[in-house]
Amino acid sequence: MRALYDRLKDRFQLGELTRQRPDLGFVTVGRDHLRALLVELKDVEGFTHLVLFTAVDWLEDGQFQLTYLLNNRATAQDLGVRLMIPREGASMDTIHDLWPTAETYQRELYEMFGIDFPGSPRVDEDFILEGWTDLPPNRRDFDTKEYSEATFAERAGRESHDPRDHMKQKLYPDGE
Amino acid sequence: MRDVLSPFTAWKHLFREPVTVLDPLNDRPGADRYRGFHQNDLEKCIGCGTCEVICQNAAIDMVPVSDPEDGDSGLRPMIDYGRCCWCALCVDVCMTGSLTMSNDYVWADANPDVFRFTPGVDPKPWNEEEKGYQRPGARVLASTERVHMGERTAKDRIDNFEEIVAGYTREEAMIEADRCVECGLCVATCPAHMDIPDYIKAIREQDYDKGLQLLYQTNPFSEVCGRVCTHNCETACAARHDGDPIAIRWLKRHITDEVPYERYVDLIGKPEAATGRKVAIVGSGPAGLTTAYDLARMGHKVVVYEARKSPGGMPRYGIPEYRLPYDMLDRDIDVIRAMGVEIVCNTRIGEDITMETLRADNDAVVLSIGLHLGRSTRIPGAESPDVDTAVPLLRKITDGEEVPVPEKLVVIGGGNVAMDIARSMARLQQVKHGKVGVTVTALESFDHFLADADEVRESREEGIEIFDARGPQEIVTFKSGKRKGRVKGLRTWLCDSIFDDQGRFNPHYDESDELVHPADMVIEAIGQAADVSILGKDLTEALEWTRGRIRVDVDGQTSEPWLWSAGDCVNGPDVVHAVADGHRVAQSINAMLAAKEEAAT
Amino acid sequence: MFKIEPDRSQYPAHNPDGSCDIDLSSGKYVKIWHGPNHPGITGNMSLELTICGDEVVEGRTRVGYLHRGFEKLMERRTFIQVFPIVCRVCVPEPDLNEYCYAAAIEELAGIEVPDYANWMRTLILEMGRFNSYMMYLGGQSGSLGMGVIGQWTTYVRDLMLDRFEELTGARVYHMFILPGGVRDVLPDGFAARMEETLKTAERYLDDVDKVMFQNAVFNKRTRGVGYIDPALFDSYGVTGPTARAGGATTDVRRDAPYLKYDELDFEPVTGTDSDIWARADVRRRDTRLSIDLIRQILVKMQKPGEYFAKIPNVLHWKIPYGETYIRGESSRGEYGYYLVTDGTGYPRRINVRGPSYTHAMALLERLIVNTNISDVGALMVSLHTYPPEIER
Repeated sequence: MRALYDRLKDRFQLGELTRQRPDLGFVTVGRDHLRALLVELKDVEGFTHLVLFTAVDWLEDGQFQLTYLLNNRATAQDLGVRLMIPREGASMDTIHDLWPTAETYQRELYEMFGIDFPGSPRVDEDFILEGWTDLPPNRRDFDTKEYSEATFAERAGRESHDPRDHMKQKLYPDGE
Repeated sequence: MRDVLSPFTAWKHLFREPVTVLDPLNDRPGADRYRGFHQNDLEKCIGCGTCEVICQNAAIDMVPVSDPEDGDSGLRPMIDYGRCCWCALCVDVCMTGSLTMSNDYVWADANPDVFRFTPGVDPKPWNEEEKGYQRPGARVLASTERVHMGERTAKDRIDNFEEIVAGYTREEAMIEADRCVECGLCVATCPAHMDIPDYIKAIREQDYDKGLQLLYQTNPFSEVCGRVCTHNCETACAARHDGDPIAIRWLKRHITDEVPYERYVDLIGKPEAATGRKVAIVGSGPAGLTTAYDLARMGHKVVVYEARKSPGGMPRYGIPEYRLPYDMLDRDIDVIRAMGVEIVCNTRIGEDITMETLRADNDAVVLSIGLHLGRSTRIPGAESPDVDTAVPLLRKITDGEEVPVPEKLVVIGGGNVAMDIARSMARLQQVKHGKVGVTVTALESFDHFLADADEVRESREEGIEIFDARGPQEIVTFKSGKRKGRVKGLRTWLCDSIFDDQGRFNPHYDESDELVHPADMVIEAIGQAADVSILGKDLTEALEWTRGRIRVDVDGQTSEPWLWSAGDCVNGPDVVHAVADGHRVAQSINAMLAAKEEAAT
Repeated sequence: MFKIEPDRSQYPAHNPDGSCDIDLSSGKYVKIWHGPNHPGITGNMSLELTICGDEVVEGRTRVGYLHRGFEKLMERRTFIQVFPIVCRVCVPEPDLNEYCYAAAIEELAGIEVPDYANWMRTLILEMGRFNSYMMYLGGQSGSLGMGVIGQWTTYVRDLMLDRFEELTGARVYHMFILPGGVRDVLPDGFAARMEETLKTAERYLDDVDKVMFQNAVFNKRTRGVGYIDPALFDSYGVTGPTARAGGATTDVRRDAPYLKYDELDFEPVTGTDSDIWARADVRRRDTRLSIDLIRQILVKMQKPGEYFAKIPNVLHWKIPYGETYIRGESSRGEYGYYLVTDGTGYPRRINVRGPSYTHAMALLERLIVNTNISDVGALMVSLHTYPPEIER
């Protein structure tokens, strides 16, 4: 993992390598180098298997983290390639030509996070949600509880008591 | 050809016994560990609500079932089976092990509302079912073991009065604080209703400033209580049912250890603007000073009168320094002073100033004089010059006065004061004679012992002999010779019951089991009394009394409208009760002053 | 011997990228919905097919029928509260979810799981795999009209559910693998009862061999149908038995042994033809392998010992920033949990990598073009799809 990192570090200006396990590492890459890095990993370094492709919403930082997790079958190693993109108007280059299956991931990211992948087939076609007009639901600022409270009725007659408050009210209501 | 014929072998199944369960409703009980409908042992359940907290789908409501009492909120979990996912985290996390699951899973009903019930309360066929999921072994979702408190060994501590316990390090405190489940059952039991779960949370979050502020909201004696509080809260702690209770007292102390003392006053904040009202307080123990602290923060002018050389009351003159270092007490008192409270020492009421003067000069007077007179057993021989009571001795030790230190002495009593004097004397013996020779005889058996278990353990470590269930009969004195009248020992009988059928104090002895504990000195530590002689004849007659104590109402007000009383002298001996008393009295006085103010304008 | 060459119409002409231009108004094409209510085990999933005669010219996988937003729900729950949810991502084989999640948490929180718990986990995973294959065998034969096999495998699966029930306390969602270990030890006499179940299973599997795999109809309808070019495996994220049926030797249990798999004696089952039959055959033999592994585990498991590690108080358990990916071999292929923590008491992100996600979407849409409509059910089932993995 370290040797691989050393080979690629300067060419693709990789960030620090996080060695999560001997067989799993994470690196950060800039947007300009992402595609070239993926191609290099896939075609030269043997990381042919796109295990998953997903996003993490760092709402507080105004950024999405895209994680491309690649697997080298021969050496049984995984490399997670991290890329930070701005949340505002989030958009990224498509990789469906490298891995056709990425089309599905990109459709999902578009729908669930609102990250656009121009040129990706059917990227704006409904994937899981049909007729969804609210915020992309996997964004951190979409509040599922609020949505559910507004959309569904609560069962009537449910009431709970906090033990501490209940005891106060029953045993020493004046605070003394 | 084989591939054409082979499938026909399926026909042989026609001649096999059917594998279906004919009557699944009755013939198919769940497995022994099946997670079916819940059961709840109402006697064991304490209504801590931890099950509700852990439920990931909000299926549990805590509903009132019985009256709350110490350590039991009276609430019980009601489960909505429309939400329950049968994960049994509630069973795993249950602090008492009361919540379990039966192996019953078959129940059909057209009415959806019946699937919401309170296990154990509502009669269900599976309530007595033995089978079903029960937590195997101990609780694992939160630690059951208290973090050990470091303390000096008996060898290190026996020849000095330095503090025994070390206090938690940050790491230890974090681990101990992590064990708390924030149920809050302890808050009702704490006489001062301290925000225990909140300050423990502050430790977890390493926000000691906030922790200190929380402490001072309810208790200006945090240094003291963090060391010597009777910690009734720990007897109400949910964690004690399956493991050790949270070390609430040590955690409180940890907060005071971590915040630099210079920051205390800043964190607590300034008192309110002066009101011009004046209150006098007699006695500078926890009750008096808490009242003073509260009133001062409300903007009233408070003067505290103390007969002794230094303020502090029982924490200074009753509790040995190895349990509560005096400079820690001084830290608490100095914070109170910083709120504007004036403490006048060496001023005895009735001699240096009278109650009448106080009454005339102030809007209200608070009497918080504690219990500083020792009680005597009055058994034969108790009048010997070698017999003393514990409290005056402890005071002398504090003030550095000379006390007799014989090689062999006996303490009568089984409470914490008995332990205090026994261990103090043991230290003096060690210094003077190089060995310990203290025997404690207690009326109570170890099953019902009055002193804290820690005190008993530590006393024994220090070489003190403790005899339980011994009733003192006579202090044996030399009848003749050079030492005529001097103490020779204590004669005791076995005490087989303390209370009679009506529950009255009436010890019964087994005379055949007699022991004589040899001693050169006997110390009686069987109780204390208030020195009410300072009140003067007129006031004593004017006040209403109840069983030897001044009668007060729930707010601590006596039958005289200008006089309140608080602390041990009216409510029995305990620091944190005294603090609670102080708050109550301060509230009451403040209300009275506010009413006066309103009437004036 | 029954290998038949696909004789599929080439109409309409395909573009180089596999798509084709379809003019619905021409009257030559009909759009039909295959699912979500369909006797073949599509689960809650459907295929929107455009057909010309009985040839499929375009297929679109439509999911979303049981989207419950698991990944989002998990972000709102404390680490322990996620535990009851994860199993629900996959009904027939829930245990791998529990393992992957627990292992991810343990890795990021630095918790060492006792040895005995790892054996228990391995056992449970193999039992789950067996059950999943039982559902598959019933489904695959059912999709070709052989209903009786589904009844047998359901019975055998039920027996294994009985073992699950006595071991874990539940039949379907076992919720037994907690972060930190497992809930309990094996019940008394479990090994003997398990052996009985395995023997019954083997008897029924013999029958399945005769009635399904030595069946002219099954052979004729599955040989050469649904061929996946091994060159496409990585492009489409093909893993597990589906890949092994095409000669690949990928098996996470061997490639990156987790739990106790490195102490077990086995070789990944592979096939050669990469068609429906080969996939069914690989799974059939993998079922036997599971039986063998269960026996090995029960022998090698040491006496009950510690089964739960010391973990912090779960009510305020916080895990420092970190991210990891834990994978396991499910009955459908590589299963994994990508977990990101941010120092709070809640996961920042949990992403479930289910094999059906790649198999049933892009791959199936590609494979389905130019098949006969009567083969669609068998083809879809041969990818062993569990829709909740797709939509999570």
